[in-house]
Amino acid sequence: MNIIEYIQNNWLLLLELTGGHILMVVCGLALALAVGVPLGMVCARNEKLGSWILAGANIIQVLPSLALLALLMLVFGLGFKTVVVGLFLYSLLPIIRNTAVGLQQVDKSIMEAGKGVGMSPLQMLLKVQFPLSLPFLMAGLRVAAVIAIGVATIAPLIGGEGLGREIYAGINYRNDTRIIAGAVPAALLAILADFFLGRLQKKLK
Amino acid sequence: MSDFFAFLVERFPDLLKALQEHLIISITAVVLGCLAAVPLGILLAGNRSKWLHSLVFGIANIFQTIPSLALLALLIPLFGIGTKPAIIALFLYSLLPILRNTYAGFTSVDPGVIESARGMGYNKAQRLFQIQLPLAFPYIMSGIRVTTVYIISWTTLATLIGAGGLGQFIFSGMGVNKKELIFLGAVSAILLALLADFVLGIVERRVSRKVKPSQSASAV
Amino acid sequence: MKKGLLGTMMLVLSLALLSACGSANKIVIGAQTYSEVKVIAEMYKALIEDRTDLKVQVKPDLSSSPVVINAMKSGEVDMATLYSGEIFNNHFELKTEPKTREEVVEAGREGFAGLGITWFEPYGFENTYAFTVRKEVADQLGLKTISDLKEHAKNMKLGVDTTWLERPNDGYKAFSQHYGIEFGQTFPMEIGLVYEAVANKEVDIVLAYSSDARIKEFNLVTLTDDKQFFPPYDALPVARTKVLEEHPELKEIIPLLHGKITLDKAIALNYEVDVNKRSEREVALEFLRKEGLLE
Repeated sequence: MNIIEYIQNNWLLLLELTGGHILMVVCGLALALAVGVPLGMVCARNEKLGSWILAGANIIQVLPSLALLALLMLVFGLGFKTVVVGLFLYSLLPIIRNTAVGLQQVDKSIMEAGKGVGMSPLQMLLKVQFPLSLPFLMAGLRVAAVIAIGVATIAPLIGGEGLGREIYAGINYRNDTRIIAGAVPAALLAILADFFLGRLQKKLK
Repeated sequence: MSDFFAFLVERFPDLLKALQEHLIISITAVVLGCLAAVPLGILLAGNRSKWLHSLVFGIANIFQTIPSLALLALLIPLFGIGTKPAIIALFLYSLLPILRNTYAGFTSVDPGVIESARGMGYNKAQRLFQIQLPLAFPYIMSGIRVTTVYIISWTTLATLIGAGGLGQFIFSGMGVNKKELIFLGAVSAILLALLADFVLGIVERRVSRKVKPSQSASAV
Repeated sequence: MKKGLLGTMMLVLSLALLSACGSANKIVIGAQTYSEVKVIAEMYKALIEDRTDLKVQVKPDLSSSPVVINAMKSGEVDMATLYSGEIFNNHFELKTEPKTREEVVEAGREGFAGLGITWFEPYGFENTYAFTVRKEVADQLGLKTISDLKEHAKNMKLGVDTTWLERPNDGYKAFSQHYGIEFGQTFPMEIGLVYEAVANKEVDIVLAYSSDARIKEFNLVTLTDDKQFFPPYDALPVARTKVLEEHPELKEIIPLLHGKITLDKAIALNYEVDVNKRSEREVALEFLRKEGLLE
C-alpha cells in the first residue's frame, strides 16, 4: 500500500495523533512561557542570579531526551503528564534566554523617557520593556516549538500520544509507509510552526 | 543506596560495553558529519549563488526535521539493522548544525582581512588555512560541541534497531520493570552528554581565546 | 498585541485542561507492540461500544507487558491482554511452583488479584518465545531442538527483543543455566525487526514470538523446547477490578472471546496485519462478524 492510499484510509487516525502531538507541545510550551518569561525577567535585572538560572537551563538542554523522559517517568509515571513536564523543561532555555536578551536590548533612551514620565521600575518592565522585547521572545518560542515537536515524537515510548505512535507501529510492522505517515506530519508540524511563528515574530517588529 | 551500588558493580562490564557501542556510533557520526559539512560550509561561504545555498541548507534542514526515530527506521531497508543505519542516520542529523556554524564562521571573517592577505601575496590555499580557518574555528568548534551533545542524545534510540548503546538499559529496564536499570541507563547517558559538553566547551573556549576578541563566536 | 497573546495562551491552556478531564465514561484498553493484542483490543472496543454506552480508547504500542501492568496499576489503562507466563516476571511473590497451563493461570489469577487486576479465561492460544532460524541453516546444521544448538551457539549471532536479556526467570541468564548454551553475540532490538534480520542473514538465530505470521512468511523454522525451559504463555484478557465493579456489564463482554481464538486464528490475524498491512480495526471487525459476535 502506498503512502497516499494509507493516508486516505487512515486520515482520521492521523488527525487524532496530530492533535495529540500538538496538545502535548502546546501544554509544554505554555508552561515554559508561564515559568520562563518571569525567569527571563529576573535574568535581565539580576546578573548574578541570572547566570545561575541560565546555567541551569543550559544543563537541562544538554540532557539526552530519552534519558530525561525516562527519569521523569520514574517519578511521574507514564503518560501525558510526564511528557508535558519533559517538553516544558526543554523549552525553558530558549524562552528564558530570549526574554532576557530581549529585555536587555531595549534602548536606554526609551527607558530614560519612561523614567522621566514617572514610571516605576515594575511599570517600565511591564509596559515598556516587555512589549518591545516580544520579537525576541517570539524567536525563542519558535526555537522551543521546533525542539518540542521533535522531542514529542518519542512520547509513545513512555506512554504518551502523538505521531510517534505511527512511527513506532511502522517500525514494529516493518511498514515503512506507516513510518512515513508519522514522520512527515511531524516534520511538517515543525516546519509550519517555525514558519508561522517566524511571521508572527516579524509582525511584532 | 547500597543496593544500587552493588547493582552497579555487578553490571559494570555491561555498562562499559554499552558505553563503547554508544561512543562508537556517536563519534563516528560526528566525525563523518564534520568531514562532509565543514568543506561544504566553506564552499558555500565562498559561493555567491543563492539557489545553491537554499538547496544545500534546505536538504540539511529536511533531515533535521525528520524525527530521529523515523530516520533510524527508514534506513533499515537500505543498510540493514545495527550500527550501520544508526551511524548514517545520525551523520545526516549532524550535517545542519556543523554546516550552519561553518558557514557562519567563514562569512564572519572581515573581508578587509582577506583583502589585505591577498595584497600581502597569500594565495587561495594559504588564505584558507592560515587566515580564514583559524578565524572561523571558534564557530566550527561551537557547532561541533552542540552537534556532539545532540547526537549523543539521539544515539539512545539506536538500541531499538539493534545497535546497542546506553539506551539499552532504559528500554530493557522498562521491559522488566526494574527501576535500577532505567536509572543506570538514563544517568549514564546524561553524564556522557554533560561530559562531552564540558570537555568540548573547554576546547571551544581555548580556541576562541587564541582569536582576536572582535571575532569571538557566539554559540548558535 | 500583548493582550492578544495572553488571551490566546489562556484559551489554549483551558482547552488543554478541558480535554484532560471528561474521561468519566471511558474505558482505556492498553496493548503491547505486537499485532494480536492490538487486534484483540480493537475487538473489545467494538464489542463494548456496540453493547454498552461506554466509550473505548485503545492505547497501543506500550513497549512491554510490565509497562501495561504498571499503567493498569496507576489507573491509566483499564483492560489489556497478558500472557500467563508473565507471573514469572517479578510482579508478586510466587507461593507455589506452577507447572501446568492451568496451574500457571491460577497462580496468575491469585497473584494479580492482589494487585487489583482480575484475570479472565484464556482466548485459546499461546504466544511463547521460539528460537527461530532460516530453513537452510536448520537443514545444514541439523537443528530440530534447542539442545541441538549446543556446539553451534557460540558462533551465532542472536537477535532478541529489548527485554529478554534482562528477564529474571525466563530470560537469557536462566536459559543459559538451564540449557548450558551461550550465544556468541546478542543483539536486542524491537521485536518487529527480528524476522527480517534473520531472513536477511544479519543475524543467525532469533528469539521470535511463536504466533507471529512472519515466521512462515520468511520461511523460518522454530526449534523445539526439548528441555521445557519456557513456561506456558497463554493469552488472556485482564481488567482492573475497580473498573469491573464500576461497570459490571464488562464482566459479560470480556468472556465473549474465551476459547474463540485458536493459535491458527491468532496467526491468521497477525498475518492480515503484519503481512497484508491491513489496519487492526479492519481485521478485528472482520473477525467479529465472522464469529457472529457483531453484525
